[in-house]
Formats: sequence, structure tokens, C-alpha cells
Amino acid sequence: MRVILTAGPRKNPFIPVEAETIVPARFLQGVDGITVAAGNRILPLTDVFLVEVEGTAADPSGVEVVLRGDNSRLKRIGEYMEAGKIRVEGNIGMHCGNFMKGGEIEILGGADGWLGREMRGGRILCHGNASHYCGSGYRGEKHGMRGGYLEVRGNAGDFAAEYLAGGEVVIRGDCGDMPGVEMKGGTLTIHGSCTRPCGNMTGGTCTVLGSARGMLPTFRRTGTVVHEPGGVILTRFEGDVANRGKGTLLAREWQYTL
Amino acid sequence: MIVRDVICPFCACLCDDLDVHVEDGRVTGVDNACDLGSHKFMTDHRMKGPVRRTASGWEEIPLEEAIRETAELLEAAERPLLYGWSGTCGEAQSAGVHLAELVGGVIDATTSVCHGPSILAIQEVGHPGCTLGQVKNRADVVVYWGCNPQHAHPRHLSRYTTYADGFFVRNAFKERKVIVADIRGTDSTNLADEFIRLQPGGDYAVLGALRAIVRGKGDVVPPEVAGVSREQLYRIADLCKTAKYGAFFFGMGLTQTAGKYKNIRNAIELVDELSRHTKWTLTPMRGHFNVYGFNEVCTWMTGYPYAVDFARGMAFYNPGETTAVDILARKECDMCLVVASDPAAHFPAEAVEHLASIPVVQLDPFPNLTTAFARIQIPVAVSGIDADGTAYRMDGVPLRLHRVLDRGYPDDAGILLEITRRITGGGSR
Repeated sequence: MRVILTAGPRKNPFIPVEAETIVPARFLQGVDGITVAAGNRILPLTDVFLVEVEGTAADPSGVEVVLRGDNSRLKRIGEYMEAGKIRVEGNIGMHCGNFMKGGEIEILGGADGWLGREMRGGRILCHGNASHYCGSGYRGEKHGMRGGYLEVRGNAGDFAAEYLAGGEVVIRGDCGDMPGVEMKGGTLTIHGSCTRPCGNMTGGTCTVLGSARGMLPTFRRTGTVVHEPGGVILTRFEGDVANRGKGTLLAREWQYTL
Repeated sequence: MIVRDVICPFCACLCDDLDVHVEDGRVTGVDNACDLGSHKFMTDHRMKGPVRRTASGWEEIPLEEAIRETAELLEAAERPLLYGWSGTCGEAQSAGVHLAELVGGVIDATTSVCHGPSILAIQEVGHPGCTLGQVKNRADVVVYWGCNPQHAHPRHLSRYTTYADGFFVRNAFKERKVIVADIRGTDSTNLADEFIRLQPGGDYAVLGALRAIVRGKGDVVPPEVAGVSREQLYRIADLCKTAKYGAFFFGMGLTQTAGKYKNIRNAIELVDELSRHTKWTLTPMRGHFNVYGFNEVCTWMTGYPYAVDFARGMAFYNPGETTAVDILARKECDMCLVVASDPAAHFPAEAVEHLASIPVVQLDPFPNLTTAFARIQIPVAVSGIDADGTAYRMDGVPLRLHRVLDRGYPDDAGILLEITRRITGGGSR
């Protein structure tokens, strides 16, 4: 079953639309009764999207939701999703894949903040850039992403994988400030460069294949490792000693200055 | 007439020892206040009554009409923003939170552009706080990090630290050690026994290094951290560990530089670490006189301290998403009610640009930069001068402000309740 949602024109396209109802499983019961919230108004899904349904499915894993048009203000799609697929043909707004447990989200454009927030399982692939707090936790939450696989082909903003506790985050481009801050488990791989990685980390492994500027003064250098594929030599650090941390930080190039 | 023991409604020190001279319904003099506080009492260029913008300029309108039009704008809006709140009393803030819930809007205070990051850090690791009286009577080491109290809180040093003799600190100026961290020399760093001159953005690294040294892991720290030598860091760590009682104050130099709430978190965890050796506490140098009050009021009403979005009927909080600057910069809100604040003077250009394209109603006694963007401005009484109300000091102590004169202006709370009554039609909805 394929559900194609094409965003129509809105009187005020800047008002965010919260759509935690857009998860594959919900469409098994048909489109009727599905609502979204635009600002402080509740609207039927069909007021915001042109909805086309092709074929049928027996369970959520057979449902693919395709989002077209301008969805850069569409929040919380795929929240708690367990199976099926969402394909965003463009940019997506904040909180895409909140608490996701299974299934797959593919974003052909970029993603706004909190992509894959507190994700538990499944896969997210973002072909463009992701904004701040990708793969992180909610404010004050002790655990960010706990499981699953999150890949960003472009760059990520600040505080990527904050409180990472499990699963795998891969950023193919650069990260902003403080990726992996407070991380306690899981793996974070940054193919580009970043500043001040892994402050206060207590566990897990972060690999920076570019350069880490503003390297924190509270990591103990413990030799080198060879990174495969490519045989790149990385400096190995342990920390954060300010926090009795036992995390591992590997960096190709690093410097204390910003 | 002299009104004694007046509480100053300027900064969050809430000095409570002012003598205010009042003659013929005007303040003619203020004793004991700093320049900032006495200027607030003496300022006398208030607006006369509500005004509305027309194609050719401003027209005066009756209060009743201003309230009716504000209520209509709030009701019609799909994403109203109610911003400001730090320059008014708790009663008005409470009415504001109720109004935001009623109209399904977002309510945010100036906290989000000053000590919001401090609260985010406190939500992560807690707040080892104390009242200012404890500092005055006990602290023999005081840290001012990223703040300049000589200019921003001029009486902080004379009432609570450097110049304030206390019960256990008999000769404060001699016995109290002062550590000041800043990126440049200021009138406050001139008073410091230790001036930590760090490179911009180096706070997180320096605080982290101090934590490591206090924990006995100083061997990992490189010879220089963000422009500060390892020798000085060791010296400061020793000074802090051997204090009888230490008090850590910090300002926007810590909360609004790179890393933001992570800087504060590092400071709190340094204070925690030091408290394994001696007693240390941490207090944010809150700015506006009742900005702390908004956080208190909003927390007991909604569970969250600021940046609360009621669009879905329940409270949702996420700074970065539901904070005023972000909502304006993303052009989300379609109406803005500004109470006791001046966002046009302090927000980034792109946020202010959006203010120009939506209806703005302002409740403020004085014309300010936001007036230039307002459709309607309703002048109100100044809390603590011609209106009563409750305000919270920077250490969380609530104090009752009493009016020193009556100039016939309505107070913020009264107008907000009247707007609410218009929207509900008099009953509850």
C-alpha cells in the first residue's frame, strides 16, 4: 500500500503543522478521521494534503507513506512508528522519527531539529543536512537515541547525538559544536570535522575522521589506532576525565584551539 | 513625604532599603539606590493613554476599545505569541499564563535570551543554590564568572559580597577572596584577587579543566587552556577547595556564549565537585527585577519555566522550538502581545523583521523601540512604583513590592484579566 500525501497551498505556510498521526500503521484504517494540528487549530489531514492511496496492505510493514511538496514545517511525523516506510521527497520539519522503534524513514532533502529524537530502533537516512540535536534527547532527558541507525549524508548542526545511549549515528559531512556531548553508549561516526566533541562523555565510541577543533582539555591520550577501511591513523583518547568517563574518542586530526 | 524601605524594581537584587521622596504625585528623590534604580524611579516621560496606529500616525483611543481590539486579535490568531513578563509582577504573569492557555498561544519570557540556558542546565543536573543572606554571612570565596556586577548589579558587592561584612566574615573586604572570569578587563575584574582572563568561547574548557584538577586528574590538562595557564588553574582550584564557603555567581558571559547551557552544566558540576571538599553554592545573576518570578509562576502553573506552547491545549516546552526568538525568526506567530519588555531593542534583526509584519500589542508604561512595531500600546502602572505586586529575587526569595504613589494607571494584571474576560464572555470557557 502506498499513501501519497502532497502538501497543498496554505494561507500561512509558516505556521507549523504537528502530525504525529502520520505513521504507516495509521493508514491501515483508512484516511478518514486522521487530523493534524496547524497552530492552535485541528484540521482533517485532507485539508492540508492531497491524499492518494494506491493498493492495500495487511500490516504496517506493507505501508509506504510518501510526502511531497513543502513539508519543512511538518513536525513529528513517524513518531513512535514501529514498521513500514516513510519517504519524504524534500525537506522535513522538526522531531521527525521521535521515539521511532522500527521501520524506515528516508528524507531526500534536509531535516530540521531533533531528527530521530530518542530513537529506539529502525533506520533513518537523511540525504541532505540535519539541523541541531539530531539523534539526541528531549530537554532534561537522561537518554538520547538508544538504538537503531541514523545516517545523515550532509552536515549536522550543534549537539548531534547528545546523550547518545545506544545505536549508531553516522554523519557523512561536518558536525557543528559539541557532537556526542554527554554520550554514554552507542557509536557516533563523523566523516567530516567538528568542534569540541564528546564533552562529559561517560561511554560509547566517537570517531572523527576529519579534524576535531577545540578539543577538550579533559581527555587522556592513550595511543593510536588504525581505522579501516583506508588505514587512516587516529589518535585515541579516553574520557571525559572531568566526569570519571570511560568513553572512547578517536580523531584523525585534533587541536586544542578552536 | 519620604517612603522608607522601598524595594527597588530594577534588577533582581531587589534591594529593599530605598528611601523614596514623593511630592505632588511625583518622585523627587531616591536615597540608597544605585544609578540604575534611581533612574527608574525618577523617569517621568510616561504615555498618557492607549494609542493605536493609523495610516497617518497615532490616535488616542479609550482603554475599553484597546482591550476589545487586543482580545479580538488574540482570538483570531492561529499562533499568538505572548512575550516579555520580566518587568511586571507575579500576579500579571499568572494572568498571562492563563490567557496564553485560553488562546492556545505560546508564552515566553526574556529568560529565553538571558538565563534560559541556566535553567536547561539546572533541569539536567540540579541547582545547588542558597539565599543571598548565606553568601553575605558565610562566603569567604566568591566567583563572578562572565558578569560585571559593578555595572549590571551595582549594589550586589556592597549588599552581599566584597563590601558586605557578615556574621562569619567580619571584615569582608579583607577576608573575602574574589575570583572574576571574563574575556576582558572590567570594573569588576579590577577588584579580583584572581582574574581568569579567558579566550572568547573558552568557558567550557576552563571549567572542565578545573573539574579535572579538583578531582585529582590535573595531569591530563595541557599547559594552557583557552588562554589560561595550568598554574593559574591549579592556584584557583586550591583557593576554591580551601574555602570555608564558596559562592559562584555567573552572568550572560557564560549563558550566551558558545555551548550555552553546557557551560552552566559544567559550572554546576564544578560546584558539586568542590562540595566534596567544602561547601559551595551557585546563583545566576538574574537581570530584570522579576524575571525569576516568571520562571516560578510559569513552573507552578504549567510545570515548565518559560517557552510554553499551548497550541495543542496542553503545555509543551522545548527551548529552540518554542522560544520567542525562534518563533519570530521562523515567521511562525501571526500576532504578538508584548508585556513589560522591549523585544525590538534586543532581538536579532530577522526576528524583529517579523514583528513588523504582524499585529503587535504592547503593554508598557513607556514608549520604547517595540512601540515602533506596535499597532496598539496600552500604558500601565510601573510595578513597584505605582502598582503593588510580588517579585522574586535572583536567589528565589519572593518579596512583596508596595506602590509609593498612585498615578491613576491600570496595572498589567488588571488589563490582562479584562482581556481574558472579554474572550470568555465573562464566564469560564
